Amino acid sequence: MKRMSLFCMLFFGSIVAATPVAAKVFLRVEPSPLPPADKTGIQDVVLLWPVRDLSVATKLHSQGYRVFLQCESKDLAAAVVTADRAAVTGMIVTNVAAASQSPAAEQLRSYFAAHKSLTFRMLVPGGKQPQMKGRLVVERDGVLQVSTPSSQPWLDTNLALVRLAQLMDQESVPILYDFHWDMSEALPDAWHPDAGAYALSIAEADAIRSDVTIDLPGSLQRALVADDPRAWTLWKAIMPYLDFSSHAPTERVLPVVNLGVIVDDAQASYEAINLMARHNLAFESVRPSGLTPARIASWNSVVVFCRLHKEAVALLRKFAASGGMVVFVNTHDPFPWHSAPPLRRESRATVYAVGAGQVVELAEQVVDPENFARDLRRLIGKERSALALWNSLTALVTGYHEQSRPDITLYLVNYADQPDNVQVQVKGRFTRVRLEAPEEPCCVTLPFVQRGSFTEFMIPALRITARVHLDSARESSGAP
Amino acid sequence: MRWPKSAALASLTLAMLPHPAILCSPQNRSFVHQKRYAMGTVFEIVIYDEDLPRSDAAARAALDEVVRLDGMMSNYKPESDLSRMNRGAHFQPVRIPRELYELIEESLFYSRQSDGQFDISVGPLVDLWKAALAGGPLPTAADQASALRCVGYKKIELMPPDRIQFHSDCMRLDLGAIGKGYAVDRAAEILNARGIHRAYIDAGGSTIYALGAAPGGHAWRVRLRDPSRKLGPEVMLIDTSVSTSEQSAPSSLQGDAPGHIILPGTGKPLQTRYAISVTAPSATASDALSTTLLLLGPTKGAALVETLHNVSAIWIDPDGQRTLAGDGVRFFLTGEGHPIHVSPLKNRNAATSRAAKELLP
Repeated sequence: MKRMSLFCMLFFGSIVAATPVAAKVFLRVEPSPLPPADKTGIQDVVLLWPVRDLSVATKLHSQGYRVFLQCESKDLAAAVVTADRAAVTGMIVTNVAAASQSPAAEQLRSYFAAHKSLTFRMLVPGGKQPQMKGRLVVERDGVLQVSTPSSQPWLDTNLALVRLAQLMDQESVPILYDFHWDMSEALPDAWHPDAGAYALSIAEADAIRSDVTIDLPGSLQRALVADDPRAWTLWKAIMPYLDFSSHAPTERVLPVVNLGVIVDDAQASYEAINLMARHNLAFESVRPSGLTPARIASWNSVVVFCRLHKEAVALLRKFAASGGMVVFVNTHDPFPWHSAPPLRRESRATVYAVGAGQVVELAEQVVDPENFARDLRRLIGKERSALALWNSLTALVTGYHEQSRPDITLYLVNYADQPDNVQVQVKGRFTRVRLEAPEEPCCVTLPFVQRGSFTEFMIPALRITARVHLDSARESSGAP
Repeated sequence: MRWPKSAALASLTLAMLPHPAILCSPQNRSFVHQKRYAMGTVFEIVIYDEDLPRSDAAARAALDEVVRLDGMMSNYKPESDLSRMNRGAHFQPVRIPRELYELIEESLFYSRQSDGQFDISVGPLVDLWKAALAGGPLPTAADQASALRCVGYKKIELMPPDRIQFHSDCMRLDLGAIGKGYAVDRAAEILNARGIHRAYIDAGGSTIYALGAAPGGHAWRVRLRDPSRKLGPEVMLIDTSVSTSEQSAPSSLQGDAPGHIILPGTGKPLQTRYAISVTAPSATASDALSTTLLLLGPTKGAALVETLHNVSAIWIDPDGQRTLAGDGVRFFLTGEGHPIHVSPLKNRNAATSRAAKELLP
């Protein structure tokens, strides 16, 4: 249901955009007292509209917070009037789908234009608490039921959600996502979520390079205000992750990708793309209309989840002919390469040789997203993969670089609850590999090897998160 | 994958618990559920007990034990006892922890019972094909022959009480087909020792142990893997384990996708359409037997099961063809609306090891 809203929101591609930002943590709090910002380490707090007592916002502002109001798009008119009068920094707008019928895009855009003193964020619905899940879930009818999405550890991540939201154009309002805490494993008298859950949420947003809203349970908020030592012990365990996240590079960066995903119905393709993200396929998603020679220049593989116009097919034919790998999902269209016999026919796929590359046509929807993602990784192969992790079933990796610069920063997140040695392979020959982590101030130089066109290294005992800076020869001479 | 999943894929989909009202609210619950990542999978424990703090501590201790065993038996962690042995046992006898020695001894029992189809020395072959599964090229015939030379359980010499020597210069043991089961058994022992008598332990779905009965006195009802989606196989477990094994699913994009279960005799991935589920008194036994019986196939496998005690097995293929064997827990085929009784026992072997003491009459 929530995901439906996301995909309705995608319809508003021209007004809500995803711009890679600094991955700020917004803390959604109750409209009641909170310790000052210099004690919590948080800068941005969110109050749910309507706010009965606006003095709460004023008080929070005086304590050093930037205050955001979260409202539905239908309430935006009233909320911005209030925001203009109170000490409010910006608005987080939800339920944009509902706006698709009435005020519509232009009206929302007019609010953004008319209130330039306010910062706007569009909330992407459908976020999940990042966590490593087991197979057991408890259902309401008393049946202990198992979901079996995978024989491997199942990670709930928001990477695909954000990447799909980033399908939209790059110009207007940044997005952020949120989620609700999973309380199913909470013992009655325990602090829940624990510090590890907060830390993982902060780390994931950092790795995705997206803002996130995290709920502060009212009980914890009150306990912090009351100086409950247990509450502060928990919060002090979270603060290093807030601090680490706030020190991430903030300049506009581009994701490291080797795989393009062409999609026009994000809902239909979501689960396959979610599993591709979970299996660390370095991808970016584009709409068919966004397919240009410049866009595909950094790819060596493409997955197509939708029908394409003739020009796009021609572009992909040229891409394949020069050595690219193209996978069409659920396609029955005639293509120019059908004039030659296929290289081989499998039970569900037909493979064509096109110049130096290949086109694989899958004749059905993705039935098993887990296997599809694994098959895709294998089809792409190590030589084409921009990023790869070995023996790290619970870790997620993303990579970013600045435009026209070869240096890469990797963001790693371990969803398991104990440290793991993570072996990393990155396309490119780097001359220095530096590690920073919340428990490891920047930077520790890691040993690495260059193997062919790849750089390989191991991150020892990755706890929850780390950043790895891969420097080219030019950069390593001047970097700290 | 760190622990090659010889016994793979989920088997359980349902466990009936008869106290619906108390399950939903954290404030009013009678169970503890914890999970931990170890051995390349997620171990989960559900404990039903009125004393929640005790249950919480017991589950934590049991999962700590699983992590400890991962540290001992991992062939991925260079500092593990298994890795240390793998590095040194080519040259001279290597002393290892007694429990690791006994687990290797038990593994060799299954190797003998299966005439070498179950073989913990298959590691070099598994690694070879694992690389192909991860996107590397398919191994050449020369690669396979080279790895095959390192395999063979008869080249493992046990030197009681706790030393091992390899009679091969490239042998490497891998307990991925039995280690998770052993860890589940140890977790069950720890829960028992802490006074927990109703618990459900799950190692990534491939091996499950039901400690005691489910709340209300019922057995734990477990639905098994059914590639046909027609039979609806289930078992009712009390102080019993069930493991499921199945070859990797064929690739939707490529026809030559290798599987993760390798035939030690040929060095190539097993070609089979079956999924197998095995029940046994211990998770160590069910884990090892599920791989063994998948490799043997239903004809030879059923013959082996008939020599064992308290073991049941069911092979199911995608067409719904099934083979049942053993005298252990009965299987129910809910898709057919009536219970299926497994065949009676006959032709028992002589006991030769700890495993034999449990399984052989």
